[in-house]
Amino acid sequence: MSTSVEPGTPEGGQTILVERNGPVGWLIFNRPDSGNAMNAAMIDALEVAWRELDADPAVRVIVNTGNGRGFQTGLDVVELAKDPDALREQSRRTKRAELRLTAWHNRVWKPVIAAVNGVCAGGGLHFIADADIVMAASTATFLDPHVSIGQVTAYEAVGLLRKMPVEAVMRMALVGREERIDARRAYELGMISQIVDPPEELRDTAQQLAEKIAKNSPAAMAATKRALWGALELGLTDACKAGAKELVGMWGHPDQEEGPRAFAEKREARWVEPASPT
Amino acid sequence: MPYSSYECLTVERHGKVGWLINNRPEQLNAMNARMRDEFAQAWLELDHDPEVRVIVHTGEGRAFQTGVDVTEIASDGVGMERYREGLEDLDIHFTAWHQKVTKPVITAVNGICAGGGFHWVADADIVMAASDATFFDPHVSIGQVVAIEAIGLIRKMPVEAVMRMALVGRYERIDARRAYQLGMISQIVDPPERLREAAQELAEKIAKNSPAAMAATKRALWGALELGLTDAGKAGAKELVGMWGHPDQEEGPRAFAEKREARWVEPGAGGP
Repeated sequence: MSTSVEPGTPEGGQTILVERNGPVGWLIFNRPDSGNAMNAAMIDALEVAWRELDADPAVRVIVNTGNGRGFQTGLDVVELAKDPDALREQSRRTKRAELRLTAWHNRVWKPVIAAVNGVCAGGGLHFIADADIVMAASTATFLDPHVSIGQVTAYEAVGLLRKMPVEAVMRMALVGREERIDARRAYELGMISQIVDPPEELRDTAQQLAEKIAKNSPAAMAATKRALWGALELGLTDACKAGAKELVGMWGHPDQEEGPRAFAEKREARWVEPASPT
Repeated sequence: MPYSSYECLTVERHGKVGWLINNRPEQLNAMNARMRDEFAQAWLELDHDPEVRVIVHTGEGRAFQTGVDVTEIASDGVGMERYREGLEDLDIHFTAWHQKVTKPVITAVNGICAGGGFHWVADADIVMAASDATFFDPHVSIGQVVAIEAIGLIRKMPVEAVMRMALVGRYERIDARRAYQLGMISQIVDPPERLREAAQELAEKIAKNSPAAMAATKRALWGALELGLTDAGKAGAKELVGMWGHPDQEEGPRAFAEKREARWVEPGAGGP
């Protein structure tokens, strides 16, 4: 991989690592000693990192994973308590639905793969709910301890229950820290689409999948993402109407001639470079 | 009731079961303009035939359906533009849902289902597949957006799997087993040659139920995909109450008590 670039100016080391490997941008949680929990520095760095990767024309697909044993365990409440300003800012954003933690919050229109390397707990579920594609190491586990410490779970569970069987989400939300979902059950439920075993192969597997996706038209994928994520906001008929606009909006785009031509000539397509986000 | 003659479809009836069969096997059942128009007519014809209680949709050959016929699009100078006006208003007519078919519809996936082929998976009430069926969506691999068929699917099954299929394009396939795990289909038929037989069997079971009650149930459940939970419950309650006083509601328990087949009010012959 290329050298790490630390976005923002976090205190106490690089909380988020941004790396590039071919057409794939990597966003890596890097507080392994704290289960990658989000402190104030990481919260700031996340927004910068998503925007940087989404704006980089060399990046076609983004993979999100974590260093160490955990994937992501939500807000670091202990750390945030020491930083009243940061805590207040985070509370304000939560109240106003102005979170900037995930790809979805930051309106990233490139495909995003979450590669869950270990425990994903509580607020960590934001990054599962808001990814396009989720794969996990065979040792990964999922739980939501919010109610076990007197907290409500909302955004992340609301996101999940639009995307997978609801009973499983309700159970996780209400049982709290007393129970975990393992990678196998997550796969059965359609919460993830791939289990990587042995777990050490997670990053290689994610890179391989990302490289396949990078062969597709960036413009068509961005419009498809807008259509499908937009559909979660609307009733079926209205969603289809909105989706049809995305469909028709792509007609006449050079990729639509290039795609079939490349296929006929048995070569890789040369797509129009993704534009910077507007 | 004799059916119209079709070039790209086979339309027939076996007992109470109407069959709509994609019949362009050499083109992997891809939809050209002719087939699109025939779909619009065939769905209505089967829905209006009082002898038909349930409709099964399948395909001839090794594919079920592979979407728009790209050869026609590329060769006749009209291209996708032929679909612009209809799509912009969602004024399209090739699936049972588009045509507001009131009878139960079973899609029996006999092989490859690719790209636009998902329209008929998303818009069916029940989906079964041959054990060798495969599913993939190559739209973004040829520079096309996928929208309507995937939007239909994400209302009905785990969303991540649909997103993955939409973004990975032609580089990966879902097999019948995974489709079954995900609840995209409810039955795998093995050996695959038994698919039509299995679909006819299921359709005959469904044909034993009250046509009026099934039509109202379809309206309630598909309508629920348009609304939030409470509003959907309220709209569904109207369908529920709307059936009260219908002759089928006396006939059903009576036939059950007398251990005989129920004699339902014919579809379209009154009732709600």
